[in-house]
Amino acid sequence: MRVIASFQLAVQALRRHQLRAGLTMLGITIGVAAVITIVALGTGAQQTVSDQIQSAGTNLIQIRAGNYTRGGESVNIASGLGSATTLTEADAEAVGRIAGVKYVAAGVRLRGWVANGARRYYTQILGADVPYAAMYQWSFSRGKFFSREDVAGYAPVAVLGTSVRERLFAGVNPVGSEVEIHGQKFRVIGVTSTGDEDQSEMVFVPYTTLQRLLGINYLHLVTVSAKEAGQASGIVDQIVPLLRQRHHLTDSAAARARQPGLLGNQMPNSGTGGLVPDDFTVKTQAAEALTRGLYTSVAAFVLANMPKVDQINLQEMAGTLNRASATMTALLAAIAAISLIVGGIGIMNIMMVAVTERTREIGIRRAVGAKQRDVMLQFLVEAVTLSLCGGLAGIVLGFAASLVVARILEWPAEAPAWGIALGFGIAGFVGVLFGYYPARKASTLPPIDALRYE
Amino acid sequence: MAVISVRNLTKTYHVGEVAVHALRGVSLEIEKGEFVAVVGPSGSGKSTLMHILGCLDSPTSGEYFLDGADVSHLSDDELSEVRNHKIGFVFQGFNLLPRTSALENVELPLLYNAGSLSATERRRRAMEALAAVGLRDRAEHHPNQLSGGQQQRVAIARALMNRPSILLADEPTGNLDSRTSIEVLDIFQSLREERGITIVLITHEPSVAEYGSRIVAFKDGRIVSDTPNLRQRVARGELAEMPIAREDA
Ligand SMILES: Nc1ncnc2c1ncn2[C@@H]1O[C@H](COP(=O)(O)OP(=O)(O)O)[C@@H](O)[C@H]1O
Ligand SMILES: [Mg+2]
Repeated sequence: MRVIASFQLAVQALRRHQLRAGLTMLGITIGVAAVITIVALGTGAQQTVSDQIQSAGTNLIQIRAGNYTRGGESVNIASGLGSATTLTEADAEAVGRIAGVKYVAAGVRLRGWVANGARRYYTQILGADVPYAAMYQWSFSRGKFFSREDVAGYAPVAVLGTSVRERLFAGVNPVGSEVEIHGQKFRVIGVTSTGDEDQSEMVFVPYTTLQRLLGINYLHLVTVSAKEAGQASGIVDQIVPLLRQRHHLTDSAAARARQPGLLGNQMPNSGTGGLVPDDFTVKTQAAEALTRGLYTSVAAFVLANMPKVDQINLQEMAGTLNRASATMTALLAAIAAISLIVGGIGIMNIMMVAVTERTREIGIRRAVGAKQRDVMLQFLVEAVTLSLCGGLAGIVLGFAASLVVARILEWPAEAPAWGIALGFGIAGFVGVLFGYYPARKASTLPPIDALRYE
Repeated sequence: MAVISVRNLTKTYHVGEVAVHALRGVSLEIEKGEFVAVVGPSGSGKSTLMHILGCLDSPTSGEYFLDGADVSHLSDDELSEVRNHKIGFVFQGFNLLPRTSALENVELPLLYNAGSLSATERRRRAMEALAAVGLRDRAEHHPNQLSGGQQQRVAIARALMNRPSILLADEPTGNLDSRTSIEVLDIFQSLREERGITIVLITHEPSVAEYGSRIVAFKDGRIVSDTPNLRQRVARGELAEMPIAREDA
């Protein structure tokens, strides 16, 4: 007898006891729904993270002057301006010679007012370098980015982020107009159309121009892009020793004596090079994305799902991440496990009842030629059908629950399509696991005993 | 060659400490086309013999050849095939699947037939078999919507599905009134005459045994007499003389 025939028999048998079947399915339904929700939470978190990484670009690396990292505190603190004055254009050039590096862009930062006449906006002004636009794959809705000549010639030109443009030039094409920054007039030559919210809030000028304006000759940051996304972490590993060497950060006693101040506000070993800490911070942009704008609770998922993004920074983060998500997952996993086990036992129980109730039927089938495996298949298919129906309801419930979680709790939850397969897989597995024993019992009844059963 | 040949069959049940000797050495040969009535008091071991002949149970000792093949040492699967292909059962309590139509009940043996037939072919053959026992218009009825006689005819149709060599009937008239009993016996007699089917009928009523062509008397697990029935009753003729019309003809 074929599986299809068994399936038809199973459906018939289950329809005779619809309420009983429905109640039995419940455990599987809840279990599968919980599993789908877990997957949805995990995928949602992963999606959020990978979206951020994608928009930031996994191939980008940021070198910042200074090193504020302290154990136990938020890693976000490192986004402040570095106090060190040791990062230079020569460093940037040296980094550019590392194998696998595609672009290097020097950077200087200033928080200040940008004014178009009476309209003023306090924001981030970034002194950038020409490759910057290519690194972030900017397109220009109006105008263009500044050129190598602009940078070399300290040109007073500016490129506006879209938000800045809205605030200072609502509705008007700003290209050709002038804005005032830090007491100097800059001619607007372009508007970026970047998807990055932070960048749309910024104003970009040649870093040389900003250096001269601030009267400094060092850099605040250097942005590096790797030729291939996967190389970023490897390049970071080369940047650190290179800069330590260039900045003469040795581990000798003499070096320590010369720089007591640096040691004073640092956790030992918070740098990567030993006793003398770095006077710079290097992070891949992917890790950077993780440290800001992300639900800290979600970030716990990151550890499990994307451990390779940036080892060092993930480890830094680990200490500070909220474990809410993990707790929620653990709770749901417990519910799932318990419901599936209880549901499975329910199926086993109901199948045992069915085997007893239908002992006569088994005897009749054996008498007309059913083999053990035919009887086995019939009851196993019945159990699996039962649990698959429960699984189907669980999938629907799980997807609905994910939507509710996403909408009402504003938690990033997104049940993936493969959740359907997973749900059926789990339900089917439970059906086979717990349906096996009753089915086996049915099939091994001696035909004559089954036939004479009262 | 004998369709059924058993030698020194014994069957002993152990109920707690007590050993019940249901069969104490039964030897029997049944030729093709015989209508053997096995008669004996209740508890004499008739059903036990039938279960062994039907490969539903195995003897404690002894030999059993069915169609010349030794079936004493077959595996469970092989016995299932033998039951499916060579044997048709008719029971006292009908043993139809409840909440299942007459048609589906009749189809059942085909479902377990190795040479799988299509659903439509199964249905067609089952319908044919039902028609042969006069129940074409009752195909969709469930057993609880049929009279005892009709149920037994469904059971007979089912038993004949795979064209078995033997039909084993254990007290087939036990739950039926006298007229319906004769109708069922009429079916057996015509099956034997028209299709040459070998029939083993088990009964505790000597009057029912008189419809067989040969009467085997049983007592305490042994055959006490085995004689051709020279005064075989003919169900067809008796029915014709009965005044009432057939209940559902
Ligand atoms: N499964 C069984 N377990 C124990 N004793 C049984 C079993 N089946 C039958 N017997 C005994 O075997 C004897 C023969 O039974 P059975 O073949 O049913 O007789 P009959 O059909 O002639 O009435 C009886 O004494 C009965 O009690
Ligand atoms: Mg009996």
